[in-house]
Amino acid sequence: MPALEPIRLIHVVADPAALDAAPWVDDEVVLRIAADEALVGGGSAAVVDDPDAIVVDEVGFSAATLDDGALAQLLGHVEFQLPPERPALVQGKIAGVPAKLHVGEPTLLVVQTAYADELRSLLGW
Amino acid sequence: MTDGRIVVDGRPIDYRSGDSLAVAIVRAGEVPAHGGCLCLAGDCGNCLAVVDGVAYVRTCQVAARPGAVVARHPAADAKPPLPQTDLGDVVRVPVGSDVPVHREAFDVVVVGTGEAGVTAGEPLRDAGRSVAWLDASGGEEVVGIYPGPTVVARQPGRVLHLRAQEVIAATGSAEIQPVCAGSDLAGIVTTGAAQTLAAAGVELGCVVRVGQELIRFEGDERGRVTAVVARNADGSETTTPCDTAVVDLGRSARDVLARMSSDEGVCVVGSAAEEHPLPAAPTDPAAVVCPCMGTTVGDLETAFDKGYRDLELLKRASWAGLGPCQGGACLPHVRAFIAGRTGVVPEPFTARPAARQITLAEAAADVAIDAFRRTPLHDEHLAAGARMDRFGGWWRPWHYGDVVGEYWAVREGVSIGDVSTLGKLVVSGPDAVEALERIYPCHVADIKPGRSRYALLLNERGHVMDDGMILRDAETRFTLTFTSGGAANAEMWLRDWIDTWGLRAHVMDRTMSLAAINVTGPFAGELLRRLGLAEPPRFLSHVRADVAGVPCHVMRLSFTGEASFELHHPLDRSVELWRALREAGDRYGIRPHGLQALFGLRLEKGHVIVGMDTELDTTPRRLGMDWAARMEKPFFIGRAALERTAKLADERRWVGFTMDGEAPPEGSPIRSIERGDIIGNVTGSWSSPLFGRALMLGWQRLGRFDDRVEIDGRDAVVTPTPFYDPEGHRARA
Repeated sequence: MPALEPIRLIHVVADPAALDAAPWVDDEVVLRIAADEALVGGGSAAVVDDPDAIVVDEVGFSAATLDDGALAQLLGHVEFQLPPERPALVQGKIAGVPAKLHVGEPTLLVVQTAYADELRSLLGW
Repeated sequence: MTDGRIVVDGRPIDYRSGDSLAVAIVRAGEVPAHGGCLCLAGDCGNCLAVVDGVAYVRTCQVAARPGAVVARHPAADAKPPLPQTDLGDVVRVPVGSDVPVHREAFDVVVVGTGEAGVTAGEPLRDAGRSVAWLDASGGEEVVGIYPGPTVVARQPGRVLHLRAQEVIAATGSAEIQPVCAGSDLAGIVTTGAAQTLAAAGVELGCVVRVGQELIRFEGDERGRVTAVVARNADGSETTTPCDTAVVDLGRSARDVLARMSSDEGVCVVGSAAEEHPLPAAPTDPAAVVCPCMGTTVGDLETAFDKGYRDLELLKRASWAGLGPCQGGACLPHVRAFIAGRTGVVPEPFTARPAARQITLAEAAADVAIDAFRRTPLHDEHLAAGARMDRFGGWWRPWHYGDVVGEYWAVREGVSIGDVSTLGKLVVSGPDAVEALERIYPCHVADIKPGRSRYALLLNERGHVMDDGMILRDAETRFTLTFTSGGAANAEMWLRDWIDTWGLRAHVMDRTMSLAAINVTGPFAGELLRRLGLAEPPRFLSHVRADVAGVPCHVMRLSFTGEASFELHHPLDRSVELWRALREAGDRYGIRPHGLQALFGLRLEKGHVIVGMDTELDTTPRRLGMDWAARMEKPFFIGRAALERTAKLADERRWVGFTMDGEAPPEGSPIRSIERGDIIGNVTGSWSSPLFGRALMLGWQRLGRFDDRVEIDGRDAVVTPTPFYDPEGHRARA
C-alpha cells in the first residue's frame, strides 16, 4: 500500500500575478491550489514579489507517492475527472474525502493530515 | 423438462433454462405481482417482487436460478415490507455489506446495444473515441444518469460509476399498456410478452388479441381475465372469452433515462427519440392509469379539475408517474389525458432515479457523506480513556470517564483541552483593517498589536453566523478564530467580501495546519511558567513564545470562566506539547477535560455556542449581546438590518434559567406556568457541581417574558447570566 505520510511544505497566499512570476526551483513541486494560493515542496523558501504575501511553514498535509498501478487503483475512488495534460493538479473528493492529486511523474496524493486516517481507512490502506 | 426450482411465496416452482423469474412464475400458472398487463421487457411495474431480500426487482429482467427466493409485494398497497433490522447491530457493527464501486471515464457511454445504439456508437469508436456500451441484457442495469454526465449502473456484485463527455440513450421503445376497466386483472400481456412466453413454451390457454378497439376486460373472482370486450366497426360490442388477453396498443418512447437528465452531454437516438402516436385518452374513471401508484383516471380528473393542468403539476397532484417505473407505463396515457382536454400534447414529464431497484448499500457504495477529521491528539485522547464523539466535523473527546472531576480540575486546579478544531484564519495586507472593520460589528482599528477582542460575525440580515477572536499580530496582519464547524464558511465569507470590495488583503486558512491546546484553571499561568513562558500574557493579550520548547501563539482569553491560555502550535509538535503539559501539571492535579465538562463550564459563564444555542435568525440583541454590535460605526455587514429591526419589539430572547434537581435534557420545551403553552426551548443544560442545581440557557418567545416557567414538569426561574463569577475576576486573575 502507498504510504500516506506527513510532509513539510511552504504555504503561500499572494497576489496571483506574484505567484505566476515566482521563480520556483525546477525540482520543486508547486501545487497551485487557488489563483492566490500555492503549496510548495522541495525545501527552498518561496520567494514571491508581494510584500503582503502570507508565507508560512506548512505541516498540515500528508502525501503519498503513487506509481501507475497505485494510481489506477485509486482512480476507482476518485469522484472527479482527470484532465489529459501532465502534470496536472486536480482537487475534489476521493472516497468522499477532500484531497488533491498532482498527476505527473510521479503522481502525488495530497490530503490534509486531519483527514489522513479517514482516507487510509476508506481506501483500505 | 425442469432445470431447477425457485421459491415463490414459500412454494417451490419449476423453471426451465432461459426462463426469467417472471416467465417461470407465469409458466406455473401464477403472476409475479397481483395483476396488470405484463410487458416482460422491464418497462412496467407489474412484475415487481422481492427477490432474495431486495424489493422492487423486475422479475422479468432476472434469470431464474436454483433457490432464488421470490416474495410478492402485498396486494393491498403493493409496498414491500421494510427489512427487519436488529437495532443493536446498528450500534455495534455496520449493517449490510460493502459494495465495490468501479469508476471509469469514457468519451462516450451508450445505453442500449440495439441497432440504434450500435449505429450511434460504432463510428465514434472507429474515430478513436473510447466508447462503453451498457445493456440490461448484458448484466448492466442502468440506475440513472446524473450530472456530469455520470451513468450509474449495477452489475452483479458491484456498482458502476461511468463518467462520460457524452451519453447516448438508445433505449428503444416500449409497448403501451392498457388503461380501461379490468386492466389490473391477471392474464393480460402485451404482444411482446406473448411472444416471449410462446418462445419459452408457456401454455397460455385460449388467447384473444385486441388492439385500439379494446373497451374493457372482464374477470373472475380470482382476479384473472375471462373475456375481452371490444368495439366493432358499427359501434356494437363483442365479448370474447379467453384465458389470456394479448394487447397491441402501439409503442411509446422508452425514455425514462433520457427524462432524468437535462445535461447537454446527453442525447437520445433511435425510437427512444421518436414522437410515437399517443393512445386514446383514457375515460373510465375507475381504470388504473398508473399501476405503480394506483392512480386512477378519476384521480387525474379530480386533480385536473382543481387546476393542475400542467403535466408536471398533474403528476405531483395525482401521483401518476411517481412510482418505480417513473412513467414507463402511464406517461402516454397521462399525456393523452391532457391532450384530450386541452388540445395540446404536453412534453413528457421528468423522471428520477432509480430506473432499476437499488439497495442502500449500492446507493452508499464508496461514498463517505461525512468525513470526520482527527486532531493530532486523537490517539492521546484514546490512551487517556476518552469517549470520542463527532462534533463540528471533527472527532472530539466527549469526556474521559469523570465529567465532574474534569470540571473541578478546571475550577480549582488546572486542565487541558484539545481545541485544535477551532477555525483559524490569517488576514494580511494594507487593507486588512478596512476589511475587518466592514466585516465585523465591533471596532477593529483600535485593537493594538498583541491585543485581541471577542467578536460576532453577522450576515447582511444582522443574524449571527459565527463568533471568535480577532487578534492583531501587526499593523496589517491579524489572526482570527472561529467555531470548529464555522471555519470553512468564514473563509469563504471573508474571501468573497474582500474580493467584492476590491480590497488588498490576503486570507489563509490555518485551521488544519495548527493544533491548539487550552490550558485553563487557577494554576494555568503557573504551569506555563514552569514550561518556560516567563510572562504569560494578560487577559485578551497574546504573544508568540516557546512553551516546553514548542513554538506557540499563546492567546489569553476565557471560555471556561477561569484563566485560560490557548497554545496554537504546529500540528507536528502537538503530542510533544500535550505530554509536556501533563507531566509538568501533575503537581497541580492536571487532567484533560472533554466537551461535556467544557459545555457545563461555559454554561455557568453564560457564553453562547453559535450553532448550538443560536437559531438562523438570532441577532445580537436576542442573545443579550447588543454591546457586540457597535452601531456608532458607519458600516459593517448587518448594520442596516440591525438599525431597522432595533425599532421593532423583539419576540424572543436567550436567557438563563435555574431550578432544583437534575438538569433536564437539552431541547426540553419551556412552558408558561400561567398559560401552559410552549414558549421556548432549552439549548444548554447542566447539573452544576458548584451550584448544586440545574442551570440552563434557552429561548423564551412570544413576547410575554415570564419570570417563572415550567421545564421538564418542574418550576424554573429566569436567572441573570453569567451564573458564575459575573464580574469576571477569575478569568482575568
